[in-house]
Amino acid sequence: MKKLSILIVLVLSVLVANAQLDRSKAPKAGPAKKLELGEFTKFELKNGLKVIVVENHKLPVVSYSLSLDIDPIFEGDKVGYTSFAGDLMRTGTTNKTKDQIDEEIDFIGASLSTSSKGIYASSLKKHSPKLLDLMTDVLYNPSFPQEELDKILKQSLTGIKSEKDDPKSISRNIRQALMFGKESAYGEMATEEAYEKITIEDCKNYYETYYRPNVAYLVIVGDITPKQAKKTAKKYFSQWESKEVPTHQFTKPAGFDGPIYAIGHKDAANQSYITVSYPLDLKPGTPDALKASVMNKILGGGGFSARLLKNLREDKAWTYGAYSRINTDEHMGSFMAYSNVRGTITDSAFVEVYKEMQTIISEDVNEDDLQLVKNSLAGSFGRALEDPSTIARFAVNIDKYGLPADYYETYPERLEAITIADVKASAEKYIQPENALYLAVGDINVIEPLMQKIAHGKEVTEYDFYAEKVVRTGVPAGLTAEKVIETYVDAMGGAEKLKSVEDLSMKATLKIQGMELALNTYQQAPNKIKVETLMAGNVLSKQVYNGEVGIMVAQGQEQKLEGEMLETMKYQAILFPELQYQELGYTLELVGKDKIDGKNAYKMTITDPLGKASTVYFDVASGLKIKQVATSPMGNSTTIYAKYKETEGIKFPSVMSQTMGPQMVDIEVTSIELNKGLEESVFNN
Amino acid sequence: MQKFKLTLVIACLFTGLGMHAQSNKIEFEEFDLDNGLRVILHQDNTTPIVNISVMYHVGSKNETPELTGFAHFFEHLMFEGTKNIGRHEYSNYVENAGGTLNANTSNDRTYYYEILPSNQLELGLWLESERMLHAVVDSIGIATQKRVVIEEKKQRYDNTPYGDILKVTFEGAYKKHPYQWPVIGDPEHIMNAKDQDFVDFYDTYYVPNNACLVVAGDIDKAEAKELVNKYFAEIPKGTKPMLRPTEFEDPQTAEVRDTVYRAVQIPVILHAYHIPALGTDDYYAMDMLNQVLSKGQSSRLHKSLVDKQEKAMMVGSFSMGLEDPGMTLAYVFPNTGVDNAAIEEAMVAEIEKMHNELISEKEFAKIKNQIENTSINGNRKLATIAENLATSYTYFENTNLVNEELDKYLAVTREDIQRVAKKYLNEKNRVAIIYLPKTAEAN
Repeated sequence: MKKLSILIVLVLSVLVANAQLDRSKAPKAGPAKKLELGEFTKFELKNGLKVIVVENHKLPVVSYSLSLDIDPIFEGDKVGYTSFAGDLMRTGTTNKTKDQIDEEIDFIGASLSTSSKGIYASSLKKHSPKLLDLMTDVLYNPSFPQEELDKILKQSLTGIKSEKDDPKSISRNIRQALMFGKESAYGEMATEEAYEKITIEDCKNYYETYYRPNVAYLVIVGDITPKQAKKTAKKYFSQWESKEVPTHQFTKPAGFDGPIYAIGHKDAANQSYITVSYPLDLKPGTPDALKASVMNKILGGGGFSARLLKNLREDKAWTYGAYSRINTDEHMGSFMAYSNVRGTITDSAFVEVYKEMQTIISEDVNEDDLQLVKNSLAGSFGRALEDPSTIARFAVNIDKYGLPADYYETYPERLEAITIADVKASAEKYIQPENALYLAVGDINVIEPLMQKIAHGKEVTEYDFYAEKVVRTGVPAGLTAEKVIETYVDAMGGAEKLKSVEDLSMKATLKIQGMELALNTYQQAPNKIKVETLMAGNVLSKQVYNGEVGIMVAQGQEQKLEGEMLETMKYQAILFPELQYQELGYTLELVGKDKIDGKNAYKMTITDPLGKASTVYFDVASGLKIKQVATSPMGNSTTIYAKYKETEGIKFPSVMSQTMGPQMVDIEVTSIELNKGLEESVFNN
Repeated sequence: MQKFKLTLVIACLFTGLGMHAQSNKIEFEEFDLDNGLRVILHQDNTTPIVNISVMYHVGSKNETPELTGFAHFFEHLMFEGTKNIGRHEYSNYVENAGGTLNANTSNDRTYYYEILPSNQLELGLWLESERMLHAVVDSIGIATQKRVVIEEKKQRYDNTPYGDILKVTFEGAYKKHPYQWPVIGDPEHIMNAKDQDFVDFYDTYYVPNNACLVVAGDIDKAEAKELVNKYFAEIPKGTKPMLRPTEFEDPQTAEVRDTVYRAVQIPVILHAYHIPALGTDDYYAMDMLNQVLSKGQSSRLHKSLVDKQEKAMMVGSFSMGLEDPGMTLAYVFPNTGVDNAAIEEAMVAEIEKMHNELISEKEFAKIKNQIENTSINGNRKLATIAENLATSYTYFENTNLVNEELDKYLAVTREDIQRVAKKYLNEKNRVAIIYLPKTAEAN
């Protein structure tokens, strides 16, 4: 009996084991299903309007989308007028006020929007007649009311203001201006000034000139048969008058000749938005375009497996996202790699993006990566077909770009045929890290020195929101005198280190008129000091302050310090006053930026509690003090601090050049000793 | 040329709003596995794609105040790999199969999905079951994603204009309930959390009895059932106690008001009001009321503040659809030079009109037409249908709510709209956030 039960248990366990699933391998795919592209109908009205219809009865909805196919227009000193014209079309007709249009559209739960390039209208099928009445009223009879222009102007001015603090908008303006040139339709940007100049006449002219059926597509998608659609199109759109529409020459930008380094400022940013971009002559629908899109997807296009994301996010954790994009365009396309990264690694992030761009040019991609991207693109092509407007878009593209009729049917095959060599060739042709704009938008106080590092001596130019060069003579935004002092203290070794110094002995030599003098300074925290000058071992002069009493000995004469001289000594005796400027009652004012011996420096006025001011310069790159000018009624005295050297973790200048009368004297430090336990007696008078 | 509009910025900020009513009936079948997993199948063979998604009933409101941001953190961690799927391979499987995947987290739930060609159904089920059975929660993944999440927080909350406006609002509105902290949590908590904290969280919430699986699209139901069983039946039921909020806000007795200064150029005046939870009758009435206020250019706030008085560049209002009592928000971007107090007065004036008068029959008909349109268009995409099914089950254990919601809206009367306006949209119940440019701070 017992045996049997064991047997049963065994049998059962075998059964269970058999049923156990092998989870270690991914399941195989079932047989692939054929993609049905779906059909469309295309016809043209007598006035030249091209109509494309896609029938889909899933939902009782029909949409009507009208779009103009016209050349990009350079708007010049009135940038924004074409867009204003588009917006204005919906704000009143000769039959209806804006209130009436709004009310009627909302009443049927529909949407109707107009832009410089077309009109979009959509509603439930049962409301189509009403919708088309409204759509065509807006198309044929816009009244361009002045008060609506005023309103749009007001809103647009407010809108432009809001973009000034958006790193992406700042970046876009600078990028487009530098890539395409401000004198081109793609590089110009809206400004308050340009908006103010736009008149009703400008808008009307645009509408009269460009809103014509012979340059337009009407796309009808939804619960409608091609026959009904034809009837509808004729009924509502055949009276639209055709007229020749002007064409515009697009001036191709020259592109970049070498790397360009630029920065833009965003107040208080804790990240920088970095982009690598350049214009690219790549037209949609060309064989190169498909290959480039595969190549770009491997580099940084969207998927989790793309190299930029893997590198910057998954390996380095510098960012939430990093991508690249290739925009194809009939006139001029572009490439852009972009990421929001931690501000302090702005330079390293650029280096990694550059590396990835280089790698895809110089090395073959591996077969698996390529296959993954092809599969992924084929998949998204398939998914897009869920939306019936995809077929309509395909139909428009075929017509607009003169593509073969079976362009989209053969898309999966052409995609699958792309080889490793194709990808490499595409990268060689279209990835241009050497001739690109490297633009970072963030806190310039953080990113400027980092950009200087990667620019290797080339100029790093700052641009503002309007892509105008910024010359900073004043204080950089967001930077305070306190921050500069903090940086200085950190650069010396940090507050902790400085606070740990109990005493300091510094020996130095200087030559005046052929004589070699020794200069010995002894300091003890918090405020004892002795400075003596010796020649051949004999004391020439000395000053001593023990925290209360001060004396000065010169040419054998001893003098007790009193009044202002004593007060001054009190402050000069303090070891590292930088640590306690505020408590001591110093006032600091950051006055600007200057160049000192070819170095960028922050200029600060430091006034001691007695009211004596000196101008101090701090090196932007190192943070260290490099120059001080003390102002007094007797004239200015300048000290230049150079060749900082470290002693027990603290940086001290090893050469100080000081004005003595008409000449500069170099004081060379020979030794510095810290915490040697100086006797109190050193400071006894 | 680029025209300047705020619409996009705002659309990105306030995602996940609006209703998901439906008038075309959505057919589905549902059942439970022994381990408590709810399975919902929806068949639609028009396009050869399939949606496989899992909604876990865990969001930021299941976190403790000392360890916030966990639910969202898992949204990152769950892509790191499983016992059988190496690090970074999870997404490769999907992309290689021609699919797409992603996840999102809210205060109430976390949602993971794959959309694949329909012949890859089994792959999708394997992937999601791996994630539920034995995701790898280890120090490498945790360390990397900790830093990624910090950058995400900076990008989305700190460096996006108005990025923290909801955070500020909810901090003002909630004193007891976990809605007081943002979904992304406190970066300090995430950075300081121990690996074991994450393991515990995973073991507690990412279990079949706290989840629902939706398989939707080009499927054969019998085959789908069999495959679901094959991959999910063996996943053990969770046994650890789950934290659900038990403390709710006391009714607010006086207006809460906060003025904040940020790196923006244009102020936002935001009036938020406490409202009941998603799915209650009053919630539907509030949704209709919001349409009266701000849906379409003929809506009241738009017509009055933007068109007539020209005080604002843009207005909006919507309810945050939350499982526990939530908020409805009305906001205005003033035109340059307009006094903020004048904006608030104008907003309140429109609300008071709602208190004092019934909306007209015509306006009511308009709202109903808009709802009909929204509900029909709302289920255009398979992915949306799948998510709506999952949501209805997760919050209400009533998957068929997707088919009942339109009726709930249509049952609301004009009197209901007036009643909820009075009941909820009043000063006592308000959280006013005056979000100003930094440059205004000195004055």
